[in-house]
Amino acid sequence: MNALEIKNLTKTFDGFKLDNLNLTLPSGCILGLIGENGAGKSTTIKLILDILHKDGGTVKVLGKDNGKDIRLIKEDVGVVMDEVGIPECLTANQVGKVMSYTFRNWNDAEYRRLLGKLNLPSDKPFKDFSRGMKMKLGIAVAMSHGSKLLLLDEATSGLDPLVRDEVLDMLMDFTRDETHSVLISSHIVSDLEKLCDYIAFLHKGKLLLLEEKDRLLSEYGLLHCTEEQLRDISPDAVYHTKKSPYGAEVMVRRSGVPHYMNVSPISIEELFVFMVKEAR
Amino acid sequence: MKGLLLKDLYMVVKYCKAYLLIAVVFLAVSLMGSDNLFFIFYPCLLCGMIPVNLLAYDERSRWPQYCGTLPYTKGQIVSGKYLIGLIAQLVMLLVTGIAQGIRMHMNGSFEAGAYISLILLIFALSAVASSICMPFVFKFGVEKGRIAYYVTIGLVCAAAVILPAFLNAAPGMSAASVSIVPVFAVCMVIYALSWLLSVEFYNKRELG
Repeated sequence: MNALEIKNLTKTFDGFKLDNLNLTLPSGCILGLIGENGAGKSTTIKLILDILHKDGGTVKVLGKDNGKDIRLIKEDVGVVMDEVGIPECLTANQVGKVMSYTFRNWNDAEYRRLLGKLNLPSDKPFKDFSRGMKMKLGIAVAMSHGSKLLLLDEATSGLDPLVRDEVLDMLMDFTRDETHSVLISSHIVSDLEKLCDYIAFLHKGKLLLLEEKDRLLSEYGLLHCTEEQLRDISPDAVYHTKKSPYGAEVMVRRSGVPHYMNVSPISIEELFVFMVKEAR
Repeated sequence: MKGLLLKDLYMVVKYCKAYLLIAVVFLAVSLMGSDNLFFIFYPCLLCGMIPVNLLAYDERSRWPQYCGTLPYTKGQIVSGKYLIGLIAQLVMLLVTGIAQGIRMHMNGSFEAGAYISLILLIFALSAVASSICMPFVFKFGVEKGRIAYYVTIGLVCAAAVILPAFLNAAPGMSAASVSIVPVFAVCMVIYALSWLLSVEFYNKRELG
């Protein structure tokens, strides 16, 4: 079963359109949604949760239509937004009590365990938490009600490297269960490169690419060559070229490059930058 | 919806302590002999406005967006705010009722019918005050809805000051002669319509 199936999702605002987005996230996988600020990542997540009303298209979450079963869907989906959204005066203890009356499958023992694991104080008001602590509390809540899908919107941005690493480890642990899936949006591509099975690039409301990460890394590469050598490469294999007086840096599809040329591995970040530049 | 009410209760305890002080001062003034309806009625009016203040704190912490990710309907979210306002008003009404009962006994003016009419009038007016501004807040958000909040408070307070004087000055009329039952019924209908309208507005509102 797919954890998420988005077909032709459309939403128009003044000056921005999320345009016929198609995305699929298989169960047990982590999908990274990469895009610059304003690309439509948060809009996509809000449309999945019906916080924003879609103009067109369909969204199925864990096999259920989000237009009909949104309340049931939310029982099984853990969400962490960029600004976590917990009231400032509440302590972690109080948040736990509120959530125990909110989710049918609230697991207080698991919540306590996560608070301990993440070194979060139980009696300190949320407003006195650092950004990292706020995110960790959001994640603890999201993982304490038997969620099958986590939706994380920029949940790692602004965190220090240690906390980020801790959070990424927790997400990897979460998807060891093959019924658990994660959709995580970020503009910090390095985090997603470590974590994700699938990568989607969004640019100005349009999906540039959705592919398995390993396949992307094996299919594409970076070639440093002269302009003469560039002419030997099939134009179909060239995605973007950055020329300088010393030669050209080219993003290529490996299969279209002659064997004698040495293609270097490309990072997801470089791939994203090249693709966005090409799309412009 | 219990979770929403509990969260609001925590917030009331944290942010609304000043209300208690204001209520004590106003009730003390009315106990010390002021017959002005304003002093008797203002603590209840204030409690009816608690949901608007909670919504302001909610918006500051971006709770509406987070709450949108939780398994609550928008109807439940709106109803939670109406219920917390209602609970606060009823608690304050109880305190006001006790205080006014003592005042009437001290004055030797206690009469069951007048007493019940007064209590119902206080409740009805404070309910109407929150009824007027809540739909604006749910439609436009607290920042824009606040205009309706201040206008409502101003109008209702002015009415509470002017109305008894007007009724008492009009030939053949007095505040006591106005039948409370239809007034109360109309106020409750307004309250119910306001509740429904707020749900309708909030259902259409996007929380991006």
